[in-house]
Amino acid sequence: MRRAFLAITGLAASTTALVVLKGSPEATQVAQNLPSGQPVNPAGPGADPSAEPAADPAAAASTPSAAPGAPSSPTPTKTTTARPSGTKTTTKAPSAPRTTTKAPQSTTRRVTGAGFDAKDGSETYGYVQVQIVVSGNRIVDAVALSLPSGGESDIHSGDVRSSYDGSGGEVVRKQNANLNTVSGATATSNAYKQSLRAAIEQAF
Amino acid sequence: MTHSHTHAAGRRTGTSSRHGGRSAVPVPPQIPARRGPGGRRLLAALLLVGLLASVLPWWLGTPAGSLKSTAATLSAAGRITGLVAGYLLLVQVLMMSRLSVLERWIGGEHLSRWHRDVGATLLVAVLAHLSLILAGYSELRKQSILAEVGTLLGEYEDMVSAFVAAGIMMLIGFSSIRVIRRALPYEMWHLLHRSSYLVLLLGFGHQFTHGAQLYRPGPVRTGWIAMYVLVVAALLWGRVIAPLAFNLRHQLRVADVVAESPDTVSIYLTGERLDRLAMLGGQHFRWRFLTRGCWWQSHPFSVSAAANGRWLRLTVKVVGTHTADLRDLDQGTRVWAQGPSGTFTAAHRVRERALLIAGGSGITPIRAMLEELPPGAALIYRARTPADVLLSRELDWLAQERDTSLWYVIGSRDDPGPRQLMSPDGLRQLVPDVARRDVYLCGPPGLVEQSVRALRRAGVPRRQIHLATFEL
Repeated sequence: MRRAFLAITGLAASTTALVVLKGSPEATQVAQNLPSGQPVNPAGPGADPSAEPAADPAAAASTPSAAPGAPSSPTPTKTTTARPSGTKTTTKAPSAPRTTTKAPQSTTRRVTGAGFDAKDGSETYGYVQVQIVVSGNRIVDAVALSLPSGGESDIHSGDVRSSYDGSGGEVVRKQNANLNTVSGATATSNAYKQSLRAAIEQAF
Repeated sequence: MTHSHTHAAGRRTGTSSRHGGRSAVPVPPQIPARRGPGGRRLLAALLLVGLLASVLPWWLGTPAGSLKSTAATLSAAGRITGLVAGYLLLVQVLMMSRLSVLERWIGGEHLSRWHRDVGATLLVAVLAHLSLILAGYSELRKQSILAEVGTLLGEYEDMVSAFVAAGIMMLIGFSSIRVIRRALPYEMWHLLHRSSYLVLLLGFGHQFTHGAQLYRPGPVRTGWIAMYVLVVAALLWGRVIAPLAFNLRHQLRVADVVAESPDTVSIYLTGERLDRLAMLGGQHFRWRFLTRGCWWQSHPFSVSAAANGRWLRLTVKVVGTHTADLRDLDQGTRVWAQGPSGTFTAAHRVRERALLIAGGSGITPIRAMLEELPPGAALIYRARTPADVLLSRELDWLAQERDTSLWYVIGSRDDPGPRQLMSPDGLRQLVPDVARRDVYLCGPPGLVEQSVRALRRAGVPRRQIHLATFEL
């Protein structure tokens, strides 16, 4: 029984330790999570359908602590990402990937956007990160690597996932980040769009 | 009854007389090699690594600094405990799979102790998982815990079965608390414990539909499912395939039933290929006698003679209806055996010499072990009356053959003779080097407890004390 008691104490202690360790932010990782000021919007101006004030909460919430982390914003990573061809120049317009005249490279690559917090005012629901699969100049698949989870968030994240993700999802249909906001999951939708935008930025 | 009245209280050593040469040991005895704790430690380390590996996905999948709100922190702790609970449940079932590797490396006694300790931890982990997740989710949704329970049960897939699984597990846990367990009929307790397979089944779904680390296809999910597959395979192997193979190979049958004393019988078994039966003296099997009225019960009994390649014998004291039925077994009755198991053997000694203490019918495993212990052992045989002494002729022969000192100590526990002898001083007087010996104890619980206390006070380290406990 003594050993059982020890084991139970160990369980409680290590669970607490793990949570506390993850709770204290590390500088490098925080930088990733935080938005990079105003991200370049490949969907074009006015493309953001979220008219609500809290539409772009993550961007609005560029907290002071963002400053030291700013260098690691998605924009500079552009130069570091290995890319098979010079399709870079053809982007910036939402329809560009489809209308490009350059012969598309038929290689498939996976591009992961920077992660964003799904935020609604002061409430943070979780972390959102999107990965797209690009074949030539087309997005052929999208998957959220991380979505808020726990409680109702599971339901909302499921809704977001089912409408955006996959080869038949809205991302692939629209080929841009100009997605319809999933009702009831505004914050998550917006964070998804931000991460998607970052990924598209990086890919083209 | 005083000490001078105790039956045959003389010291018998094998060197004095060897006349007749009638030995209960037909083949030259072999002393089994020691089995150290290496295997056990390795497995314990493996299980611990598994525990770390099962929490690792959470660690890697949770960005640092992401636990900002209370809700997120509570849910995260809930997830950790959930992963731990899921893993421990698998460990629990694995330990009870009767896999021969586990039996060999860890041993039934240790296994059941681990099972009890891990079981308590598992129960706490499940309760923590449940309450932390509930607290976290209800905080997130800003509703009461009860309303949250309603939401989870109503809107979440697989959650009803998960709650049922948790309920069963709690019942199992509480029914295993010593006081409660004693008050329960054995069959009920056993049935409850059997339902832990149900827990495995019912708890399965929600881990994959809602587990933040597991719902996404990928190596983590695959690995987790693989663990389940592995454990179920171990269960199948240990509880179905291996026993089937064993019984098909040996085809044990009752050869004879012999009365040893008014309330004790020896059952002799024969079978095929018994020379290839790897069994150590002191080990036990779970026996199932395939006759009407007996086939549905399986009971653990020690084998009361070391492996000799020709027959097996178990010596059983009649205490209940089942054991009473065993007196009337017919020759040729088929016997289904599961085993051998147990670390109450000469192979698990840590010292060169041993002291054996038997009480009543507890002599049976010790009688078998006596054939395999190195010479120089000592045996104290406690019995209430001379009629309770079993197999005494064999013991006398064996003591001679194996250079073993043998004392019969007869009388009630409260008689001055036995009481003096079973005290630290008494034991030291009888066996001066008792602190440097392995002590093997088998007998009624009262005797075992009393002896352990006396032995500890006589300076015998805990690891040198071996108890024959039958796990259930």
